[in-house]
Amino acid sequence: MSCDDVRPRLTAYLDGDLDAERGSVVRGHLRTCDACREVATTEAALRDGLRQLPAVDPPPSMWAGIQARLAEEEVAHARRPAWRRALARWAPSAPRFAAGGLVAAAAIAVLWWRSHGGPDAPSPVTPEPASIAANPPNKVIGPTQVEVGGDASLDVTLDLAGEAARVTAHYGDEAEELLARAGEARAQWTVEQKDAFDAHVVELRGAIDAAADGRPRQRAWRELIRYLRGAAVRDEIAFAGGSQ
Amino acid sequence: MLLTCALASLTAVAAADTPTSGLVERARLEIQPGGRAIKQLAIENPLGDVKVEGYDGTSIMIETRKQAPDEEGLERLRVSLVPNPDGTVRITTTADGGKEFKNVGRAHMRIDLIIRAPRDARIEAAVSAGSLEVINMDAGGDLDTASGPISVRNVSGGVSTHSVSGATSLTQVFGSVDAQTISSNVDLDTIGGERLIASASRGKIAGRRVRARHIELTTTDGAITLEGESALRGRIVVASLRGDVDVRLRRQGAVTIRARGAKVNLGSATPFARTQQDGWVHSQLGQLGKTAPAFVELRSRYGMVQFAIIE
Repeated sequence: MSCDDVRPRLTAYLDGDLDAERGSVVRGHLRTCDACREVATTEAALRDGLRQLPAVDPPPSMWAGIQARLAEEEVAHARRPAWRRALARWAPSAPRFAAGGLVAAAAIAVLWWRSHGGPDAPSPVTPEPASIAANPPNKVIGPTQVEVGGDASLDVTLDLAGEAARVTAHYGDEAEELLARAGEARAQWTVEQKDAFDAHVVELRGAIDAAADGRPRQRAWRELIRYLRGAAVRDEIAFAGGSQ
Repeated sequence: MLLTCALASLTAVAAADTPTSGLVERARLEIQPGGRAIKQLAIENPLGDVKVEGYDGTSIMIETRKQAPDEEGLERLRVSLVPNPDGTVRITTTADGGKEFKNVGRAHMRIDLIIRAPRDARIEAAVSAGSLEVINMDAGGDLDTASGPISVRNVSGGVSTHSVSGATSLTQVFGSVDAQTISSNVDLDTIGGERLIASASRGKIAGRRVRARHIELTTTDGAITLEGESALRGRIVVASLRGDVDVRLRRQGAVTIRARGAKVNLGSATPFARTQQDGWVHSQLGQLGKTAPAFVELRSRYGMVQFAIIE
């Protein structure tokens, strides 16, 4: 992938809107291209600044355009089963929850605590804890399902900016897989069970959309995963009353 | 700043040395509560480990260890501390960014936190790939990692853990537990509380010395082993899609069992078992008295199901 291919996708990448494969390609390019990395870093810094601006109501014409596009999407997917439509709606919105919480935290910070030191500072006063020394810097521990840290070519701030989106993307992938597994047993469900399942998935999906960015939204994703896991494993229990 | 002075008295010391891979800087800070006790500690450290240890005091002691390739890198690493009037102390870490800094990969930047906190403070902590350890606390907590391991030991109160791929270990937890992972193991040892809920997709769940009125263990692919006690009128549901299920219980009163799997072995309950047309095997141990029996449900669609009573 060339710079010309990557540049138009940088915003989507920083928003976490790219799927895992495209995101990986962009990330791989950023590791080797200084120019694109600088553009990405600049854009990330700009976005940090934009997040601090007050919210503005969009013009009615924008909503009209969005509604028109939604209508087109609905027509295109009208023939698909309800549970598949619910799944299809996850993909575009799943990873767009890039970091923002830290900005709010910074805004209310009462105290920035910085300790200054260097090679000439006084001798150590605190013995290094064994539990911390045992872990190398930011090495991924356990199954490498989440790409977190360890990327020497991306600047730490760029890496951190994309982390929430990466975690959310993993939740989205997991939910999709569980939904497919629940679908394997779907043929055995009654109509009422199917309706209850579809309705509950839509409800949980709505909770994801309504949740605030960052951890609240991840918590909402986990609720959906919990329900889908129950549906895939303990089908008849999962549908009783729409809960596990 | 006036608010800070009113809420906390600070003593900080800094030190630095030169390890083989860059610079390390350590510092300590103690926060004395103002007029109100510290009730909750909210920690967010995406750059390294967090260890929280409870003690019988009222102040919070924080040790930080920063690591970076050079002096400029150390300057970029920051720890933010926000003591709120409602008794919550918020600690977050981050790294400064901008064109004025040279590019440094995350693997070379690190902040580790060791925190001693009053036992009765609730812990809300999130890390990324670093480890998250909480010990000797009395008000439970909510713990979150992406790929870092979670370790909880000797903690009372409700504990909720979630990780995408970090191994989760809970030992001596007395309170309701909710542990959720996607692709890592969950290890439970000496758990006592009203509810124990654990779930994983591609990880195993292993429970020993578990006693809770409501137990719910679920995996899609990993095996589940459980050794514990059935509480009176309790409910135990152990279910997997593809993993084997192995449950051994000490019985308190009567127990009703229903199980379904690729192969089912109910041990000493086998002589009383009857198999229904839908594949469920039902059995019962003990005399039904005035109190309802404990209910045990075991299932694995593609794995083996084993049950045994520990005499």
